Parts: sequence; structure tokens; C-alpha cells
Amino acid sequence: MALARRGGIGRYYDVNGWLFVAPALGLIALFMVYPILWSLWMSFQSGRGMMMKFAGFGNLVRLWNDPVFLKALTNTMTYFVVQVPIMILLALILASLLNNPRLVGRGFFRTAIFLPCVTSLVAYSVLFKGMFAPDGIVNSTLQAIGIIASPIPWLTNPFWAKTLVIIAITWRWTGYNMIFYLAALQNIDKSIYEVARIDGVPAWARFTHITIPLLKPVILFTTVISTIGTLQLFDEVYNLTEGKGGPSNATLTLSLYIYNLTFRFMPNFGYAATVSYVIVILVALLAFLQFFLAREREK
Amino acid sequence: MDIFARTRLPRITALALASASFLAVTAAEAKEITIWCWDPNFNVAIMKEAGARYTKTHPDVTFNVVDFAKTDVEQKLQTGLASGTADALPDIVLIEDYGAQKYLQSFPGAFAPLSGTVDYSGFAPYKVEVMTVDDQVYGMPFDSGVTGLYYRKDYLEQAGFKPEDMQNLTWDRFIEIGSQVEAKTGKKMMGLDPNDGGLVRIIMQSAGQWYFDKEGKPNITGNAALKAALETVGKIMSANIYKPANGWSDWVGTFTSGDVATVVTGVWITGTVKAQPDQAGKWGVAPIPALSIEGATHASNLGGSSWYVLESSAEKAEAIDFLNEIYGKDIDFYQKILQDRGAVGSLLAARGGAAYEAADPFFGGEKVWQNFSDWLVKVPSVKYGVFTNEADLAVTAQLPALTQGTPVDEVLKAIDSEISGHIQ
Repeated sequence: MALARRGGIGRYYDVNGWLFVAPALGLIALFMVYPILWSLWMSFQSGRGMMMKFAGFGNLVRLWNDPVFLKALTNTMTYFVVQVPIMILLALILASLLNNPRLVGRGFFRTAIFLPCVTSLVAYSVLFKGMFAPDGIVNSTLQAIGIIASPIPWLTNPFWAKTLVIIAITWRWTGYNMIFYLAALQNIDKSIYEVARIDGVPAWARFTHITIPLLKPVILFTTVISTIGTLQLFDEVYNLTEGKGGPSNATLTLSLYIYNLTFRFMPNFGYAATVSYVIVILVALLAFLQFFLAREREK
Repeated sequence: MDIFARTRLPRITALALASASFLAVTAAEAKEITIWCWDPNFNVAIMKEAGARYTKTHPDVTFNVVDFAKTDVEQKLQTGLASGTADALPDIVLIEDYGAQKYLQSFPGAFAPLSGTVDYSGFAPYKVEVMTVDDQVYGMPFDSGVTGLYYRKDYLEQAGFKPEDMQNLTWDRFIEIGSQVEAKTGKKMMGLDPNDGGLVRIIMQSAGQWYFDKEGKPNITGNAALKAALETVGKIMSANIYKPANGWSDWVGTFTSGDVATVVTGVWITGTVKAQPDQAGKWGVAPIPALSIEGATHASNLGGSSWYVLESSAEKAEAIDFLNEIYGKDIDFYQKILQDRGAVGSLLAARGGAAYEAADPFFGGEKVWQNFSDWLVKVPSVKYGVFTNEADLAVTAQLPALTQGTPVDEVLKAIDSEISGHIQ
């Protein structure tokens, strides 16, 4: 009987199989499915603290008319558009430089560049805050070598504050992406490069016509990961600006806004859930777009 | 099935025994009151002093004062209240006055009303008002944030000003003096954090207005005091008589390092000012400058906080009794925390006594406490409402625009639109 039922649709009714995966399924349901569904339900409610009422699409209407949300969205997209390409390109260049077997001390350089991404988020933000203070080491160095006449207001000017956040996240995450590229580069057959060299292809052309096309799947992967990371950007901004996203909301990100809506302002868990779903939808859309673009180029 | 049947009984017995002994232990144990607050040199130290006093007469009650950063206290409290699991919460928590209504209104039933127990007529009325919802009063009023103008006598003297010149200033005069101080001494007049709305709030409240009217509706575009406050901050910025600071510790550093000539803030900063022994005798305190508009005074308030008992607390009765005994009645306690920590409490009966009469050698023998206590009763009463944090961020978001020459009326409109978006 049992044997006859195996195979085809019958195996979906095998109790033993379900028993084996049941604990895992239960945990996933409890800690992933339930919170996701509950937060979706919350995003249709609004109210002060525990006094939540069903609001239908009220939160979406509020999103549309909320200047702070639009500011946070613009900032987040600015970080994404400016920082991710810089970081990906920088990581690629560093990886191909450090992949050179003739380079002396490349183990040291690899470690040094990777090290930032294993440091504590809070520690490095605090350190950056000190380094970029009006009389911090960065300003005094720039002044000493004569690049600037007066200190750059890194943390009190909207433009420079945004720049500082970009510098901070680039410093931290470039090494992380570089490691992926290094691993991928070592999987590329050396004979391809040998042939190119014999044919007299210059180094830059080897990089753009061999390395980048062969790394495309990894580039896609790191781009999607960086997209998710940037859209969820929180720690750096929170620690650099004492949780305010200032000056003038210039560094406010969507995640920090969610934090403010939940913990700093009159708590509105429903509206905060709506804003978090904006991040979910944006990440999904951008990842889809990136897959789509990468796939098209392969043809 | 067999296995279950065999193990069930002993397991239940063990559980029952364990819980019985656990209950027995807790019943015999002394009551411990857990308190959350921030600032080790001020709130935490004062609460420990209060706890020690209560334990003397009630040896069965002990205190566990937990020190967090202010934002952490607020975040943990809000998370705990929202989750509905009371055992993660303390028995007593410190809440800043600006946020009190927010917690009381958005988590109804979470805090114990103290109306029947505490005699609120003995406290400064504006402190009681921030903790009243629907005629029920929650919480124990604690420190006042009555403001003052702390100034460096030595710097001002170098610039040609005597202490008399610092009394009853207007803001315009203050800025004039600031320019001369910088010209003569090279020191900036004050430290200013452009991400902090504190100065705007001080100036606005000194003229009896707030971001919201008594009904809690936004009071921005027609708010003469807010407009004048923003204009004043704009003038301070364009006169460039301030040292920019990023964040609290940076701001504190502007005056502890001796870089600025004045500090305009709440009385609770006294301990920090006095923490620099080498600056003893160099500081004076004057009333804050006033605006030149109707209703302008030289008295205002910044911050200040109060103690709240959680309704879910297992030690609720003891916690309420403790607050009432010490903070509600103990005049001697208030003398001690004033002398030790510079805490100006809001219990009116505690405003006399030796500590208030004493001359402070750090301030060149001035009777600063008497002054603060005189100003305390003159602080215009305003209703903070529930959206002060939102309004404050909206104001600081517009400060750079103000310095770039955007007309104040446009800035007010932008603030209004941001605040209206948050009020739902």
C-alpha cells in the first residue's frame, strides 16, 4: 500500500516527511509568516499608541502628503544612487588590483580593506563623528595641507552631512563586496587572461571586456545585497546625528523615520508599518529591475 | 503514549513544588522597587538618595536604580508598554515633561493615578498640568527646568561689562554684547547646536506661547512668540556670535572648555558648570534675556521631568508610598539634593530653608538658588500637548533655511505643514 502510494502526488501525503519538516515549518510560521502578516494588518490601522483603529488606506494617503516621508525617501534614494555605484566600482578595482599575484603584501591589504565591515557599527560611527568634528583630525589635516581654508561643517551642513554618511558607508562596505569579487576572480580560468595578453589586449580592456562580463553574476548579487542594505540604512545615520537625521532632515533615512514614528514621536505603529512596507516594495522592485537588466545584457 | 503517561505525573508534581517554593521565597523576600532613569550625576544620584532615606524607615523595601541613556529609557518604556508584557517594565520610571502627555494618552491604564494620595496643591501648577489627563493626575512632579543665563564674569569684564549690565537684558542687547565680547576677547557668546530646538523653546515659552494652543491644535503661523524666537535665533546665527556644536556632549564642551561666555539653559546644568573647579568664582547667573513683544518675561523652562508609577507594578503600593513620603513631603531631602546636585524641585514648600538662602562661592557668593526659586514662580504656564518631539524636529529642520535668509513667515509655514502631517 505504502509503496504503491509513493511517487506522484502521493508523496505529499507522506506523514513521516511532514513530521520531519514540521518543527522547521512551525518556527518559520511563528517567527516569519506571523510577524509579516501581522505587520501587514497593522499597516491598515492607525492611532496613538495602543489606541489603534482600522484606517483602510488612510496610511497610504498620509504617506502621499507627508513631507518628511518624501524627504526620507529622497535621501534614501540619493544614498542608493550615489553610493552603490561608487562602492561597487571601487570594490571591483580593488579586487582586481589585489588579485595580482605579484603584488607584495596583498594579504595585508586584503585584510585591511575587509576589516571595516567586521567592526562594530556603533564604534565606527562614533569614531567618524570624532574624526569629522569641526576641529577633528580630518579638518585639521585638510587645513594643514592647504586644501581648505576653514573647517568643513561635516555634521552641521545638510550637504556635507549627507556626504559624510556616504563616506562612512563606503568605508565600511567596500571591503565586504571586494571579498566576493576576489573569490569570483579566482574562479576565472587564468588561460583566458594569458590568451588576451598574448593577443596584446591592454590591461584596461582586459578588465572591461573579460573581468567585468565574467563577474556579472557576482556583480548582480552584490548590487542586490547593497540595495537592500542601503534602503535599510539606519545605524550610521542614527549614531552620526544623535538619532535625529539632521541637520534639516538632510540625512534622515526611511528606517530612521520608522524609528522616529515608533519611539520618538507619538507612537503610531500602523503608520510605521506602512513605511516599512514601502521599503519592502522598493527592495523588491529594485532587485527585480537589476535582475531584469542583467538578464537582458546576456543575450 | 506510554512514555507520556509515565512522565506526566512526576513532572507536574515537580512543577507544582517548584512554583510553591518560588512563591514562598518571594513572599519572604524584601520588596525591591526597580526604577529607570537617566543622568548618573543628577536623576540617578538623587533617586539613590531618596531610596536610602525611605529604606531607613521601611527596611523591608530596597531600591534598584537602573541608569540608562534618556533615549534608551524612552525606547524601552515604549516597547514594553506596546508589547503588553508588564514584567519587562520597572516599578517607577522617569519621564521628561514634554513627553508625559504622549505616554499618558497613548497608553491609557499603563500608569497609576496618584490623585487620591498626593496633595498636588503643594506643587508648581505647571508641573501638575503636564501630568493631568481627564482630571486624573498621574506621577510625582520632580525637577524644574527653570532657566537662567549663566555668564563668565571674567570674559564680560574684559569686554567692558559689569554684572549689572547682564540683568534684565533683551535678546537684541544680548546679541550686541555678544558681538563686543567676540571683538574684545575672541570668545563666542554661546554654544549652539543647530539640531537642538531647546533655545527656540526657551524663548517661546518665556513669552507664554507653545507650539500648540490649549486645545492641542498647532499654533505656528500666528504664534508671535515662536516667530520672535526664530528671528532671535536667526539673528544669533547671522551675527555669528555662537560656537556650533553637534550633539549634547559637544555643546557641554563649549562652556566647560571655556570657549564661550554664556550659557542659556535650565537650572539642572548647574552641576555641570560647577564640575570645573578651575572656573570657580568666574561665573554669574542672571535672568534670561526677554523678547520685545507682548507677554515677554525673563523666566522660562527647559526640560524637567517627573516620576511615574506603572499600574502593572507588583510593588505599586510601596512605590506610591515611597514617592509620596520623600518627594511629596520631605523638605530636608529637597535641601540636600539642591546643595549636592543643583536640583530645584517643584514642591513649593521646599523653596525656603537654609539651602536656598545659602550663598554659592562658585558663583562669587551670589544667592543663585534664591534667584532660581524666584524665577520658578514666574515661568509662564503653557500646555506642552503631545507632539512636542515632532514640532521640535520640524523647527530644527528649518533652522538652516533661516540662516540662509529665508523669510520667517515662510519658515513658519514650512514648520506648520510638517507638524500638521504628524498630527493624525
